[in-house]
Amino acid sequence: MTVSRRLLAVLIGAWLPVLLVYLWWTASAESTNPYFPPLSVIWTRFLELWVFDQVPVHVVPSLQNLAVGYAIAVVAGVGVGAVLGVSRRTARYVEPVVDFLRSIPAVATVPVFIVIFGLDASMRIAAISVAATWPILIATMQGVRATDPTLLDTAAVFRITGAQQLWRVRLPAAQPIIFSGLQLGLQIAFVVTIASEYLGAGFGIGAFTLIATDSFLILDAWTGVILMGLLGYAINIVFDIVERIALRWYIGQKKLA
Amino acid sequence: MSIAGRIPPWIVSMLLALAFWQVAASVGPISDSSIPTAVDSVTTLVQLLGQSETWIALGQTVAIAAIGFALSLLIALPLGILIGLSRFAFTSTKFVFDFFKVIPPIVIIPITILALGPTFQMGVFLVVFGLVFALAIQTAYGVRDADPVLLDTMRAYRQGIVTQIRYARLPSAASFIAVGIRISATAALVIAVVAGLIGGAPGLGRQLLLSQTGGLADQTFAIVLLLGVLGVLVSHGIEWSRRKVIFWEDR
Repeated sequence: MTVSRRLLAVLIGAWLPVLLVYLWWTASAESTNPYFPPLSVIWTRFLELWVFDQVPVHVVPSLQNLAVGYAIAVVAGVGVGAVLGVSRRTARYVEPVVDFLRSIPAVATVPVFIVIFGLDASMRIAAISVAATWPILIATMQGVRATDPTLLDTAAVFRITGAQQLWRVRLPAAQPIIFSGLQLGLQIAFVVTIASEYLGAGFGIGAFTLIATDSFLILDAWTGVILMGLLGYAINIVFDIVERIALRWYIGQKKLA
Repeated sequence: MSIAGRIPPWIVSMLLALAFWQVAASVGPISDSSIPTAVDSVTTLVQLLGQSETWIALGQTVAIAAIGFALSLLIALPLGILIGLSRFAFTSTKFVFDFFKVIPPIVIIPITILALGPTFQMGVFLVVFGLVFALAIQTAYGVRDADPVLLDTMRAYRQGIVTQIRYARLPSAASFIAVGIRISATAALVIAVVAGLIGGAPGLGRQLLLSQTGGLADQTFAIVLLLGVLGVLVSHGIEWSRRKVIFWEDR
């Protein structure tokens, strides 16, 4: 693609978002509706709060819980999923319970963890990690089960069996499927992070926003919503980049095919 | 074959899980918390099912999900088709739709509480916000995926745009839309519950919030169990109807 064509593509992709923000900015400029303050005022407040005055108080703890909870989910989901993928007999008994537990809306499990753990950080991390485990577990199980039989035969010829076969053949081959589970798990982890703060916490970006709403600090609530939206989007972008690097071999293979 | 051998595995595993819960709630590290036992929770669930409030709340949750789902389809399908027909429209809207697609509805709840209050409409709005972007993108992808040779042939025979949509675009979009519908139907229910639990919209979510803040641990667990059963029924229902509609495709 030449430079000018690439520039054109960027322009075509960018005019609508720019226009929408511009429309919001001008349409809200004279707004006297208390619930929809002018975007310029929201923006000033956003800079005051989040660049970077309140970031250590509210954003860092949220992201910390998200990171720890998600890390636990990745280890548990891939580990248990791999075992269930190899052993069909175990899976037959575990799957119905997993099926039931993951059918509970993730956010609705937060009250359960509040009953067990109270309102501290351990409740939030437990809720995040459990909710994010299910999609990762199921994707890993399905991916490990679906290994190309030719690969397994080849591995058998080289006497690669048992744990080595799982670690060196089945899991790497399942990576594309596992990554789709990892992505869904991350999105759920983000949602539960916010939900666990809405439902009881003094700090964290979700708590900040809902407390602002309840106290009719409408500007602050708007900045919180915008910040959460941007964070949610940024997390997806980061995941896409990591996935693209990790699955380079697979993407290259698909292009060849 | 013994009687034990004839019990389906899922019943065995459910009973084992309940037994494990019963023991964990009675002895062990988490028994000190206010976690109710499995027996207490299931008993409370049975009692709840005998009360009309529960069924009203269930109806409200399902109604919010269903109305939001239907509205999303009404908006997203025509929009997706229009966007998919034009390359310019598709690339222009891609960023905006992708952006809103990945933002979970839970993020905007504070603003919807301010604007609409803890109401039925707020729940419906959240469901639409959560579904409409992904559905529209999915439809647009399907429309763009139409066989170019078929389209060229139709153009060569001077078939109008309506015929092209009817016989080339929509058939190719159908399987994309089917996937979108399957994912959206479960998502709609989840969002309807969240709208109640966080935003105070009527339904099972709000009942759950009231139980938890009221310190009714049995009832909290019972409602969560009920939500699990509802989730299983919905996903199995969708799977069943998918097999009926797309009967030639196994799995």
